Order: sequence, then structure tokens, then C-alpha cells
Amino acid sequence: MKKQLGFLVDADRCIGCFTCAMACKNQYHQENGVIWRQVYPLKEEIYPHKERAFYSLACNHCENPACMNVCPVKAYYKRDEDGLVIHEQDKCIGCGNCIRSCPYGAPQYNPVLKKAEKCSFCHQRIDEGLTPMCVLSCPVDAIGVIDLSTLDTTGLVQYAPGFSRQPVLNPSVRFRLPRLPEVVRRKNI
Amino acid sequence: MNSYEMPLVLFTVLGQSAIGLVAVSAFRQVAGPDAEPGRIRLEWLAAGLVLVAGLIASVFHLGHPAGMVRALSNLGTAWLSREALTIGIFLVLLAAGLILMREKTSPMLAVATAAAGLLVIVTMGMTYSPPSFPAINNALPFVFFCLTALLLGSSAGQVFAVKASQPMLTRILTVTLVVALVIYLLVPCIWLSGGEIMKQTAGQWLASPLYWGRIVIGLVLPLALVKRLKGTPAWLWVLILAGELMGRAVFFAGTVHTAANMGGMY
Repeated sequence: MKKQLGFLVDADRCIGCFTCAMACKNQYHQENGVIWRQVYPLKEEIYPHKERAFYSLACNHCENPACMNVCPVKAYYKRDEDGLVIHEQDKCIGCGNCIRSCPYGAPQYNPVLKKAEKCSFCHQRIDEGLTPMCVLSCPVDAIGVIDLSTLDTTGLVQYAPGFSRQPVLNPSVRFRLPRLPEVVRRKNI
Repeated sequence: MNSYEMPLVLFTVLGQSAIGLVAVSAFRQVAGPDAEPGRIRLEWLAAGLVLVAGLIASVFHLGHPAGMVRALSNLGTAWLSREALTIGIFLVLLAAGLILMREKTSPMLAVATAAAGLLVIVTMGMTYSPPSFPAINNALPFVFFCLTALLLGSSAGQVFAVKASQPMLTRILTVTLVVALVIYLLVPCIWLSGGEIMKQTAGQWLASPLYWGRIVIGLVLPLALVKRLKGTPAWLWVLILAGELMGRAVFFAGTVHTAANMGGMY
């Protein structure tokens, strides 16, 4: 398998602090309402506990990306060296087809530029040997960079509950599921 | 609710109307009683104008309309590029049919233009059935678009058809109205037995006044009028067009995207 970078989402560690989303915003200064990384609380039917659990999600840099396949002007390409899916905004004509087609809502419409945009995995930082800003900023190490060609997948899942199953696209993200909350009782009661 | 995507509503409905007009006209010329030549020219001219109006509407959907020509760049994988190509072919054949028309269009050219129109509907159906909308990630958009073309083609075709052809067009329209009514009433019920996003889509459609407006104004009322008047009045296409526009608005605004339920059931 060729090198394929992706995000590890550790829902067991995530505390839903949104620092990753803010770090992304701080790095790229997206327009209001344009969100490349979002933190989703798991709904009660998925995680029915008083404790809460979260998925921090951005573009999944799929093996077979819908955005790239549907773009009529070839504004997306997949890097040979690490499988990252990059959007070239200069080529974009703002047709919105990628936004409609990505099941994960990764491409977003920039109302000022009238073009789509999405998480780039901070590929410029990757090229410099640095980690993406969201990964760097997480105070509990709940997001990581993984290479699927060498990853030990023990304890990880690709399609976690609450995450749309899309085998054709094959999203390059892996989840560590949140543990069930422990009930601590005092003895002798 | 998503955006109503009015440019796309107008583009798809008007484009499919033009295809329906040409297809019904070709069918009449090949299989039906002879039509008056002057009216066929007028019919094709109307189809061309409606298609151009739809194309103009589609431009307003783009953030950068100047890049429209580059939409043909990704014919290898993008159905939107293929849609643009097939619409171009349809437009060229339509224009050729108009220019070369003597008393009638040549049957070969009429059938070829109608076939190109069918190809447009196939590519449109593929473009608007992405994996992000589970409720319509199937053949439904193609079926919806075929019904639009047939409904508007057979109702607006009455304006241009000679008397001898009108009973045939009324039969086509009646059957299409009944089939469309059954499909549009059944589809949300089937979605209710599907996954979470399909259920949510059914909920959005059934709760939308536009959906019921489309059923009543665009399907039930025309069906009742055709039955009562024992024919198709020349103005009936206005009601059907209104119904189709409402239905297409629901198609774009009421169909739920998978990303809307992230962290929930699928």
C-alpha cells in the first residue's frame, strides 16, 4: 500500500474543548461560518451516558475522494507522496458540486471568494516536517497523524458509530472509540 | 433545510422541459399523425429558447461564471462535466434541426436530438445523486427528471400539436400524471423505512408545503382537469410547470445531507 496520511481521532481522550477547531481558524483565518475542522458531540442514541464524547473531524483525505471525482474543473488533486487531497482554489469556479457531494461536509463555500475550500492537512507544514496545527494544539493528544500503510490498527475502527459509512470513498481516518463511563461507588453502603 | 438553489431549480426544470418538448415532437413526427410544419418549427424554437433560459439561470449558480467553459475539463470522472457536454450536443442538434427544417425536421435528426436529450437526463440524474444524499443516491433523480420532461413535453406540446395529435398527447400526459402521482406519494413512504438520513429526508419532504403544493397543483389538479374536460387545455402546462418548480425546490432544499447528522445514527 502507498503512503496515505490521515487523522487519528481518539474519542476516548477528546474532551470537546474545540482547541483544534480554534487552532485551525487561527492558522487560516477562514471567513465567518467557514469551518474546516468541527467538533461533533455524539448524540444520545450513540453514546447514552451522562458523560459526553466527541469526534473532532475535518477532511478525511479519502482514498477515492468524491470531491475530486465530481469537480468539473479538476480543482482537486491527490498527492502521490502521501495521499493528501488538496484543493487548488485558483481553479475553482464555485459550482458547489464538491460541497454537495462530500458525505462528510468537508468542502465549504467561502461566500467572499465565492469558491469552495477545505482542510489541507496543513500540507505546507507536513512538507516542512511539522504536524498540522489541530494536532499540535490538542491539549489531550486526541488527534494524531497516521500513515495507513504502516498503521497498527489494533483497537481502531474506520467507521465509528455516528460517522457515515462510505466504503467506495474509503476515508483515511481511524477512530479510537470512547470507553463506557465508569460508575464509582463507595464501599460499605 | 438546505438552500432552495433557485438557479439549479430553473436550470433543471427548464432544461428538462426543452428535452420533453423535443422528444414529444420527435415522437409525433415519427409515430403520430402529421403535424403542421410551421408549428413544429415554432415548437423547436420554443424548446431552444426554454433551454437557453435554463442555461442562463444555471450561470447564476456559479461563483465565477467566467470559468463556465472549463466545466468540460473533467470528463473522465465528473458527471457535471459530462452533463455540460451532453447539453452542448443537445443544443447543437436542436439548432441544426431548426436551421435545416423544411416542412418537418428530418426524422433521423429529430430522433437523434431526442436521444441526446435522454443522454442529458441520464447525466443530470448521475450529477444529482451523490453519495452524500442517501435518499437520492440511486435512480430516483433520473426517474424524477424523466417525469418532468414527459409531463411538460406532453402538456406544452398541446400548444403546438395539430388536432389529430392531441388525443395521443393527452393519453401520454394522463399516464405520466398517474405514474408521477404514485411515485411522488410512494417515495417518501419508502424512505421512512430506510436509514436515519432517508427518514429525515422523508420528514422534510412531507412537512414541506411545497411538496403538497406540487402534488395538488402539479399532479392532482391537472389530472382532474384532463378527466373533466376530456382533453388537455392549452394552458394546463402552466399548472404543471408551477408544480414541477415547487417539487424541484423540495428536491434541493428538503433532501438531507449525511453531514447534517454527524455524531448521530446513520
